[in-house]
Amino acid sequence: MKKFLPAIGWVVLLGALAAVPAALGPYYTNLFVNFAIFAVFSVSLNLLLGFTGLFSFGHAIFFGAGGYGTALTLKHISGMSLLPALGAGVMAAVVLALILCPIVVRLSGTAFAMLHLAFAQVMYVLALKLRGITGGEDGIGNFPIPPFTIPGLVSFPMKDSPQNFYYFAIIILGVSLWLMWFFTKTPFGQVQLGIRENAKRVDYLGFKVPQSKAVIYVASAAFAGVAGSIYGLFHNLVSADGALGVLVSFAPIINIMLGGIGSFLGPVLGTAIFQIIEELVSRFTDKVELVMGLTFVLVIMYAPMGMLGVMRMLKQKWFPGPAAGNATQKTP
Amino acid sequence: MDPITAMYVAQGIHGLAYGMVLFLIASGLNVIFGMMGVLNLAHASFFMLSAYLGFQFVSLTGNFWMALLLAPVATAICGVLMERFLLRKVHAFGHMGELILTLGVAQIVLAGVKSIWGSESLPLKMPPILEGQVAWAGLNYPVYRLFIIGLALVVMAIMALLLYKTRLGKIVRAAVSDAGMVNALGINIPLVFMAVFGIGIWMAGIAGVAIAPILTVFPGLADQVGMDAFIVVVTGGFGSLTGAFIVSIIFGLLSSYGVQFFSQFAPVLIVGFMAIILVIRPHGLFGAREG
Repeated sequence: MKKFLPAIGWVVLLGALAAVPAALGPYYTNLFVNFAIFAVFSVSLNLLLGFTGLFSFGHAIFFGAGGYGTALTLKHISGMSLLPALGAGVMAAVVLALILCPIVVRLSGTAFAMLHLAFAQVMYVLALKLRGITGGEDGIGNFPIPPFTIPGLVSFPMKDSPQNFYYFAIIILGVSLWLMWFFTKTPFGQVQLGIRENAKRVDYLGFKVPQSKAVIYVASAAFAGVAGSIYGLFHNLVSADGALGVLVSFAPIINIMLGGIGSFLGPVLGTAIFQIIEELVSRFTDKVELVMGLTFVLVIMYAPMGMLGVMRMLKQKWFPGPAAGNATQKTP
Repeated sequence: MDPITAMYVAQGIHGLAYGMVLFLIASGLNVIFGMMGVLNLAHASFFMLSAYLGFQFVSLTGNFWMALLLAPVATAICGVLMERFLLRKVHAFGHMGELILTLGVAQIVLAGVKSIWGSESLPLKMPPILEGQVAWAGLNYPVYRLFIIGLALVVMAIMALLLYKTRLGKIVRAAVSDAGMVNALGINIPLVFMAVFGIGIWMAGIAGVAIAPILTVFPGLADQVGMDAFIVVVTGGFGSLTGAFIVSIIFGLLSSYGVQFFSQFAPVLIVGFMAIILVIRPHGLFGAREG
């Protein structure tokens, strides 16, 4: 029986995901897509922050590159189909990461974080000022969204069918999450953990630290690009504030913080909590900033390891045992 | 004097005044970071809070000078309370914790300011004695900008005296280089840090009241000026006051001449300058390498 439990879990999870549009209605389905986008974005930052110990204040550059890449492709190339457009967004993020990585892999700590803040600001200001390309404050909106087609087989319209788009987005984002999960389990992922804990020792062991950092940097950028690209398709709008602003860079940091650093599912949990708080707050009061600020302060004062930290603590309190004491996750 | 020279001089004065204000904010940010590694994202919010308090004081009593004296002190007290009861508790958790905490405080200040004073820009009247212009050598200088430059120089002189001529300053400089060692020598670093935090916010507060008559007071003030101050600290190099000073002045001049010559792309000029400096010297112009 124990052998089948994971399989049953997966079936239940997939069934629940498939039932979301029917069960929750369009409003909550959209909320869920938004959650999935930011979950992937947060996990992609966590590849850098939690697993390699590189702290970026400007991960929005890749999110924005993905969004703008897809939006520009769809706007200017007529007859473009959906997956290549998505690919264009991801490529934009990857190319940007490849340009930046020779500069940034030499760094770590504060300099790394600050340099990204600088790049994010440059991108943000450029997106605002290069009106001819990016549309300035208004962004790029109302670009055509093609149907999802497998030639000769099927074609699902995306434009006016939130349900189809939900399935498309969830599949892409789900596969991204799974790939990242897979990535952290490979030997290469373990090298990343080593770099986080002690880069010098990993260097002595014969692994190439800057090169490893560069690979994870590009991978993280690619998945952020996926999230940004889906975000652009989902809203049918990519704007400087929505895709490149400082708050876009801070959102995944906050999600990771709320959920718990270093574990794979922490950021996903954190994103869920953040979305629920945001949703509830915007329903009852217009003082979103106040509630957000209070949440940050309370979380960091009383649950600095995030929700997973709280759970681990409760588990240790109620079910003390050797397994619970083995929590070796350390903050970078 | 011909109008071209007059334009250059006027923009130069504007740039210097803005640069000086930036330095008042950035130096506090810089010393706080240098000493404890705390990246205070709420620093600019206190700057804004002080501008609002100054506005409130002026509209109640009509006395600009008292506002300039009292509002920064009141703000500094808020800052010290935050350091004592919030920041100190999360210090053990590292930089991520401090970042989230100060971001949270910044949001709370923003929400508070919006709910008390509303979202529109509030004009703060400058005292009549500082209005108008003074003529010298055939050119006109706006008095208020000159006043800001002078005020900033006075504050900087006070700070330099504190930092280089007193025991407290000696401790602070030692702590910037190695806080743990100074603590081990029996000096109460948390207490010193609280004082430094308060002084840093006091300086930001003075900048807030001083710049309010020019920029007016509005909830976006913290983001607008705070980002510039942050860029100054990053570009000048963490922990380096010389760097912060030079870069502040360069940024002030860049932004004022930039608006004159490339109106659209002035912000690109500043962040582009920062990006170039950081690519060449990742730790800032005068920053030391960590580790």
